[in-house]
Amino acid sequence: MQQPFEQTLTLRLMLLLSLFMGLAILPHGMNLSLPINLYLIALFGWRLSSLYLPKLQPGRWLLLLATFGAIFLVYSHYQTLIGRDAGVALLANMLLLKVMEVKKRRDIYVSVFISYFVVITQFLFSQSIVLALYLLLVIICLTALLLEINRVKPSSRLHEPILKTLIIGIQALPIALILFVIFPRITQPLWNFATDSSAMTGLSDRVTPGAISQLIESPGVAFRVQFKHTPPPTAQRYWRGLVLWDTDGYSWYTDRSRPMGYDAVEVIQIGDPIAYEVFLEPHNKPWLYSLDLPIAAPTNSRLSRDFQLLKNRPVTQPLHYNGRSATNYRTPQLPPVLRKRALQLNDNVTQRQRDLVSQWQAASLNDKQIVDQALRYFNTQPFVYTLTPPRYIENAIDEFLFEGREGFCEHYATSFTQLMRIAAIPARLVLGYQGGEYNTLGDYFIVRQHDAHAWSEVWLEGRGWVRIDPTAAVAPERVNYPIRLNFGEEGSPALFNIGSGGFVGSMVRQIAYAFDSANVQWERWIIGYSREHQFSLMHSLGFDTFTASQWSFITIGMIAVSLLFVGLRIAWQGKQRQTRTKRIYDRFCRRLSRLGITRRPYEGPLDFAKRASRRRPDLAAQIMRIIDLYIQLRYASRRTDMECQLFARQVRQFRPRRR
Amino acid sequence: MASLPLGQWLSYFRRHAKPDSRGGVRVMPRSIYILPTRQGLLLAFMLILMLVGSINYGSNLGYLMTFLLGGIWLNAILHTWRNLLGLTLSPVGAASVFAGQTADFTLRVSNASTLDHFGISLKCKKQVGDSVDIPASEEALLHLPIKTKRRGELTLPEIILNTTYPLGLFYAWTYARLDLSCLVYPKPASRGEPPSLPVYSRSDAGDRGVGADDFIGLRNFRPGDSPRHIDWKAHARERGLLSKQFGGDRTEQVKLDWDLLTEQAPEQRLSLLCRFILQAEEREQSYSLRIPGQKIADGAGQLHMQNCLSLLARFEGGDAATL
Repeated sequence: MQQPFEQTLTLRLMLLLSLFMGLAILPHGMNLSLPINLYLIALFGWRLSSLYLPKLQPGRWLLLLATFGAIFLVYSHYQTLIGRDAGVALLANMLLLKVMEVKKRRDIYVSVFISYFVVITQFLFSQSIVLALYLLLVIICLTALLLEINRVKPSSRLHEPILKTLIIGIQALPIALILFVIFPRITQPLWNFATDSSAMTGLSDRVTPGAISQLIESPGVAFRVQFKHTPPPTAQRYWRGLVLWDTDGYSWYTDRSRPMGYDAVEVIQIGDPIAYEVFLEPHNKPWLYSLDLPIAAPTNSRLSRDFQLLKNRPVTQPLHYNGRSATNYRTPQLPPVLRKRALQLNDNVTQRQRDLVSQWQAASLNDKQIVDQALRYFNTQPFVYTLTPPRYIENAIDEFLFEGREGFCEHYATSFTQLMRIAAIPARLVLGYQGGEYNTLGDYFIVRQHDAHAWSEVWLEGRGWVRIDPTAAVAPERVNYPIRLNFGEEGSPALFNIGSGGFVGSMVRQIAYAFDSANVQWERWIIGYSREHQFSLMHSLGFDTFTASQWSFITIGMIAVSLLFVGLRIAWQGKQRQTRTKRIYDRFCRRLSRLGITRRPYEGPLDFAKRASRRRPDLAAQIMRIIDLYIQLRYASRRTDMECQLFARQVRQFRPRRR
Repeated sequence: MASLPLGQWLSYFRRHAKPDSRGGVRVMPRSIYILPTRQGLLLAFMLILMLVGSINYGSNLGYLMTFLLGGIWLNAILHTWRNLLGLTLSPVGAASVFAGQTADFTLRVSNASTLDHFGISLKCKKQVGDSVDIPASEEALLHLPIKTKRRGELTLPEIILNTTYPLGLFYAWTYARLDLSCLVYPKPASRGEPPSLPVYSRSDAGDRGVGADDFIGLRNFRPGDSPRHIDWKAHARERGLLSKQFGGDRTEQVKLDWDLLTEQAPEQRLSLLCRFILQAEEREQSYSLRIPGQKIADGAGQLHMQNCLSLLARFEGGDAATL
């Protein structure tokens, strides 16, 4: 199709185009590395200055050189040109280079479409509400540019095309929502780029000294939990993540070559299970968090023999799942293989550790008493709970137990577990979170990275696995009143949150809670929307199966209905008031016609009014008033409802008598 | 019917804008055709790419934005359609031209609704006309230049009113037939002298000489005037195109007769006669015209010239096929 007219591309248009492209790329600044950012900024600056100084406009060869420069830069940085990060870096460069050579209307379309693509790629890095709203705005501005180049004269005010785009966008919203709800979600990616770097905060599957204290500085949200009924008290809110069985003397982990398996394990529950919903932030790890002790696996995940919830793939998208847990339980079985594994020791066991344990053994009748002895030892000896423990170099556990005695939950948990194993009590390490902050507005708990915690489980005859938190023996306030730490610069000492008291503090807290609530709803309904939601939705609509033909019929049908509504609406638009005014005018003409003054087809309102006034000078004032109103309603660019009503009233009162 | 080319045969089934009582046509909901433009197809392709990306990375916001743009794409069909709907097109006129020149058909597009219409263009086959924005309750004149080839009555062919507003993703058009024609005079031959000697008669005002030497005044430019006689200085002062008038007050009578011409081909004769008429008019001579079956008595002036040229344009003999 040929373009009907070739509008000259005004400076204003080019400036807006460059500006909107820049805004579309802007959030990527956080995702791209410094050299690429600098290159992009240079290109953008070049573009802007060449708009004002045409001498700077690059020729074809220079542009080609800049293109190769961009490709070289991206390749040298990522060693590839495909994949998420490299692809985005390349795309951003190509967009700016494309804008550089815009000469015709066609180039504007291409640039705008590439910008749309850049906007979509932003969501691969972040899916926050603020970013989404910002990018929506950018899309509207970009689309308004298309409106601008499709009219002959540029619009006098910028809000005109933006308003019109908004209308089109709002009319497109039903279609977007229908497709969003109904479009089948695929759980597996179509292909995988293994090179993508993802630095997400969260627990790792290996505990080394200092691993958790790094996390503790992060106020980032790990997950949020909403309990179906009464939430358990803080001291019982242990969020189990993963269980570590093996140690090499320095770090704790679970040997991948000896997986735990997913056989069902007998759990005797005492009391009702607790039901809750978890909104997990992506942490790029395959495990899920659950209240100690999970008794059922959510959909698409499995419960392992040591009560870890595991998915097949790392969680890279916000995930929403339902959990069921027991807080009071017995696990009577321990297979010999596992018992052996839970007693394994490494060569970092020293004589003084053995001596300590034999002291406890001598003073105890059973395993339970040994555990109590150990806890008492932590409680009575001068152990200090600190976020900044000294570095233990040679034998971390030994140095911590007998020399430094300053440590964090991981120090307590690992050394406790090791001591239990020396005492021939099967023990394992559990990693997860503890506590959580209650959001009064949203009625849910926010579990943050600084709630990360490590504890032990020991196996006691007759009771099975029992959770023992040696940290609680040293610093019970850590468990009962979770620390809320406010970290300033790195390395600065931890301070208790200033905003915890006072009116301003509570205000700030309320606003933060409101924002967090909005975030939860956002993650629950938009980002976390999944195949499971779709199935339950279709089920509630009465479709048990979800075949392709059903899907297509429903989709096409609903889109057609939506389009029909919009079509009817815009077809009627602009007609209604017109017809009303015209109808009233016709009534006025009929009344004059009864007096013998009939409007001729070619006669405009003014001519007709003049003729009528000449014929009936007594009615002239009234006629002219009506005609003035009519002309104003019919032809003036601004009309008010008041004028329309006035016009109707005047005509209603116009009841001339024959002479 | 079968012998017609496919396109013409198809055009038989075309829907056209509906004629109204005043000789115009109104664009009805079902007389609008619509297809995606190149850009529209490009965006559709990019939307598919975006969808594939969103599927691959399982990005729900990616889905949402892609579907929003998809919804905008679909709604653009309706808005483009709406942008053409309800417009009325009526004929205004077309000035006569000489064959080979471009005829300028003028049409009026009016927008009776309270909605603004933008980027409305006119075209006819490959000839692209004006584009206008028409705010609510306003009208605009559109010019459609059509290159003429042969003399005679040129009726306005089927025209196409089209738009790509708002987003340029779709091209909506409607076919319209309007009763508007333009008279195309024969193409004037290159300068030559009439074969007959002019008949001299003395003017009452005295003899001021024959020829085109004396400047006697200005008149409005008419098609066919020599560019050398245009008063460019006046034009530069934005007073419009004016032609300088030269000549004497001595009237000359020129007899332009088909039979006196030595050329044989009828179109060439018409062409020559056309040139002589223009020349005589330029020199302010009075002239009479005689062609087979028709005759116009001696006279001068704009109207006389138009009559004579129309006679030539409408001459039934000849093949009317040459330039």
